[in-house]
Amino acid sequence: MIGRYDWAGGTEAMLRFGPATGPVVVLALPLFEEANRTRAFAVTMLRRLAERGVASVLPDLPGQGESLVPLHDMTILRMQEAYGGVVDHFDREGRTCYGAGIRSGALLDALGLLFGRWHFAPQDGASLLRELTRIKSVEIGKSLGECWYFEHAEKGVDPVPSVEIAGNVIAPDLLTDLSVKTPFDRSPGTAHRTLRLASDPGEADRKVEGTPLWRRSEPGNDHAFAQILAEDIVDWIATCER
Amino acid sequence: MTGEAVVREGKAEIDTTIRAVLRDVLGLSAERAAAFADETPLFGALPELDSMAVAGVLTEIEDRLGILIEDDEVDGEMLETFGALAAFAARKALQ
Repeated sequence: MIGRYDWAGGTEAMLRFGPATGPVVVLALPLFEEANRTRAFAVTMLRRLAERGVASVLPDLPGQGESLVPLHDMTILRMQEAYGGVVDHFDREGRTCYGAGIRSGALLDALGLLFGRWHFAPQDGASLLRELTRIKSVEIGKSLGECWYFEHAEKGVDPVPSVEIAGNVIAPDLLTDLSVKTPFDRSPGTAHRTLRLASDPGEADRKVEGTPLWRRSEPGNDHAFAQILAEDIVDWIATCER
Repeated sequence: MTGEAVVREGKAEIDTTIRAVLRDVLGLSAERAAAFADETPLFGALPELDSMAVAGVLTEIEDRLGILIEDDEVDGEMLETFGALAAFAARKALQ
């Protein structure tokens, strides 16, 4: 079911799944191209959640999906504010919200009253920025220095022009923002769970066998894997609600 | 085990990791990835390997092998064949 939510910058669409009562999982897709690559998988995972009686929502954050707001108007903080707007929407209905984030989506759930955060293969902002720089560097065939996205701007030009990386037009402010953002995991008393692929040596509460769909240029899906992640979320929420 | 044997074993492990990365990033079948030999051409020969995929391959190799690849180390030669990429990764990981 398609719903809408409001935030300080306007109104955006959200895909809702599952029952109209009980806790709600608010899922944030990764930023930029990886969002397209993981959307079908995320929807499958949320459908599995619904079958287990857990409600969820997949919002289009401004600058993502069907949103009419151009990406180059966005900063991480504004996307976090919009995410907070989704949480507020359900909070007003008296429902408890749990954050879920895939890859850099784990950077977006900092605001809003969440009772816990579940992150799958979280990527910190500095690592994403390195990757974006590398994509740009391969595109133009030369290596780029730190803060390269400010370099082509003439002195005194305000705002600094956006840069295009693999088809996404991104504001330099957002890229600067990224360099210091890490997944939100330091909220005392709030549950936090991290899952990673078995091939990822990073720290995690659980390692799972699977393929990194966010790397695939042809968006794929993996129903069995979506089922495993959905089960993990269901079990985790059950312990949080106890 | 002699030092040479350790390096040889490490090299085999790195080959396996590179194969897995190429399979995961480029969406290749396990058979196709397993058939990669040292002289199998990569960049320019695999249509799947565009600029985003190159970045994905390098980042996944960094993450999985715990190494850091500087941008100025990335050139056509290193990505030319499977063997060249595996040798580059081995130099970084086993140094």
